[in-house]
Amino acid sequence: MSEAPDSSFAPGYKVPRMRSPQFIQSTTFRWALTVAGILAIFVTLLFGFIYWKTDKYLVARSDSMIAGNLNIIAAVPEEDRRLHAIDQHLKEDPRSVQYAGLFDANGARLGGNLERLPPDLKLDDSVQRVAVEKVLPDGNEENRVIRAIARLMPNGNVLVIGREVDEANKISHVVGLAVTLGLLPGFCLCLLAGAWLSVRAQNRVEEINQRVQRIIAGDLRERLPYRSVDEPLSKLAIIVNGMLDKMETMIHALAGVGNDIAHDVRTPLTRARLTLERGRTNATSLDQLQDVVDRSIAGIDQALTIVTALLRLAEIENSRRSAGFGEVALDDMLEEIGDIYEPIAENKNIALRIEASRHMTVRGDRDLLVEAVANLVDNAIKFTPEGGKVGIELTRGEGAVVVRVTDTGCGISASERDAVQRRFYRSDKIRNTPGVGLGLNLVTAIVKLHGFRLKIFSGPGCRVEIICPDGPTWTQSGLASTPIENVMPSPAAVPSGT
Amino acid sequence: MTKLLLIEDDAETAEEITAELADCGFVVEWASNGIDGLDKARALRPDAMIVDRLLPGMDGLTVIEALRKDQVRTPVLVLSALGAVDDRVRGLRMGGDDYLTKPFAFVELIARIEALLRRPAESRDRTLRAGPLELDLIERTVKRGDRVIDLLPREFRLLEYMMQRCDQLLTRAMLLEEVWNYKFVPATNLVDVHMGRLRHKVDGPGDIPMIHNVRGTGFILRTGV
Repeated sequence: MSEAPDSSFAPGYKVPRMRSPQFIQSTTFRWALTVAGILAIFVTLLFGFIYWKTDKYLVARSDSMIAGNLNIIAAVPEEDRRLHAIDQHLKEDPRSVQYAGLFDANGARLGGNLERLPPDLKLDDSVQRVAVEKVLPDGNEENRVIRAIARLMPNGNVLVIGREVDEANKISHVVGLAVTLGLLPGFCLCLLAGAWLSVRAQNRVEEINQRVQRIIAGDLRERLPYRSVDEPLSKLAIIVNGMLDKMETMIHALAGVGNDIAHDVRTPLTRARLTLERGRTNATSLDQLQDVVDRSIAGIDQALTIVTALLRLAEIENSRRSAGFGEVALDDMLEEIGDIYEPIAENKNIALRIEASRHMTVRGDRDLLVEAVANLVDNAIKFTPEGGKVGIELTRGEGAVVVRVTDTGCGISASERDAVQRRFYRSDKIRNTPGVGLGLNLVTAIVKLHGFRLKIFSGPGCRVEIICPDGPTWTQSGLASTPIENVMPSPAAVPSGT
Repeated sequence: MTKLLLIEDDAETAEEITAELADCGFVVEWASNGIDGLDKARALRPDAMIVDRLLPGMDGLTVIEALRKDQVRTPVLVLSALGAVDDRVRGLRMGGDDYLTKPFAFVELIARIEALLRRPAESRDRTLRAGPLELDLIERTVKRGDRVIDLLPREFRLLEYMMQRCDQLLTRAMLLEEVWNYKFVPATNLVDVHMGRLRHKVDGPGDIPMIHNVRGTGFILRTGV
């Protein structure tokens, strides 16, 4: 972010600065936190359930045990032997969880380890939960809450048997320990994983952001990082990189055009300027000055011609109009073009031949098509030496109408075929022929707009075809990426474009 | 005196145009924006107007549209830095009579203004006459005096156009637009070649030349000898 440009320049690209650590605010981390929280609640509920069930089971078991003990001790026939049985019962208790007591009708203790008869203990043979005072072997007392059962004996004494369910405490301890040992690390792990993932994502976004900032700053060679093809972010990065590749190519192409324009417009302007400057100093008569001005105007006019041609090219290339398209009768159109160029060909002693099959129409913009074909014919006549032949043909090809312009000029060599489609390209051998080098570009643009194809054949004698496929191909106008086909490479001679 | 109204926002351009038109004997009024221009067009009733396409306040085409709604038929030449064909078509459809792309040569401007001011009247005559020339629109025949001139269809159309505008300078661009219906300027000098052939036929040996080449600009069909 340090090299990020002024935020007013590209606010949308700037990841806002955060007060707390960035990963805490990230969605990934929040999700991790939520999942960890839900997990913790589930685990707690699970352990709680286990604890509750176990406790219930243990209590029930203990209850049945003390009820059994009560029955056994109550069944002892004599009071002395009963006291002895109680003592015996208490002695057989290494964990000292057993409680027993025999009280007379007044509540005075006769035996056992209970200090007094618990006041709220009902004498109804049911196991209850009561608070008792335990007599320890050293004579002290201790308050405990136990499960106990009491019975009123036939002689008026009360027999109490009880048991402390200490297993429940142990279980709860174990459960607590399990929760501590298991859940907390798990929870922490969740949070850590969340934090790690979110930091990782954040770092990648940050890295992408930095690279995008560099791209915005003008470094078009920069690309987004990616790791593997299967990962969504990498996929996205690859897509964006593809887009950047395309844009880089386009921008370079534009820059190239810019340079071409600069060169081709500056040259005549420079000439005009120099002429004017010299004329201002050296011209001594009105005639001389007028001559200087005429030559300057010619230079400026040439520059303007180039600008006009470029604008026209841009207009056609950017045009998406197919709404203005109509049925164009190609045979009539070619007759008309032939009519226009016939005198020019004749002046140059070139035989202009037109062979047009009847009733051939295509969907298109008539004016533009005239312009395209006229350009080709113009070129053909221009580059054919005197006594040569130029042919305009209209035939049916395979699923397409074909307009063919042929000449007996020096043709376009295979090596130059790509070059002639570049703006301002002019073959070295035609430097002395007038033209700015945009004619074929214009034809290409028009052909592309119609969804047609331009085929340039190399070899001696140029042959150019405009292939107009049947059907509404014009709907894809401009989408066809390479409407130009280069065919049949063969070593041959030279020139090209208006 | 022919009165012209120029609506153009760039003062320097306007000054140059005004001076040039004044040299040619026109009286020129200048308005620098669309609203002012519309007011002047209504008040002064000029013979022709030159209107820039892009104007502050009110677009040039809007001005023309407003005038046409008021049934003002003053011929209008639209000036524009937008040279696009679509734009040109729109300019003419909105009521402009001619369209000239900036930058232009003064001769081109003057020639077009002259053409606008002297538009041929709707004529029911079947023959056009210019000096010794006689052109039959129905029979499609041309005679110079007693000599019959055999013309190709395109040459006939060219001569017809020129005879309707005798003694007027016709620039190459005007001829391309009107006679050939070309919306673009071809690389080869089409007009010159065709004109050369027409001249060869019209001005026979021993005849006083009628078709004159104005160097670097265009052609004139002169009737006076």
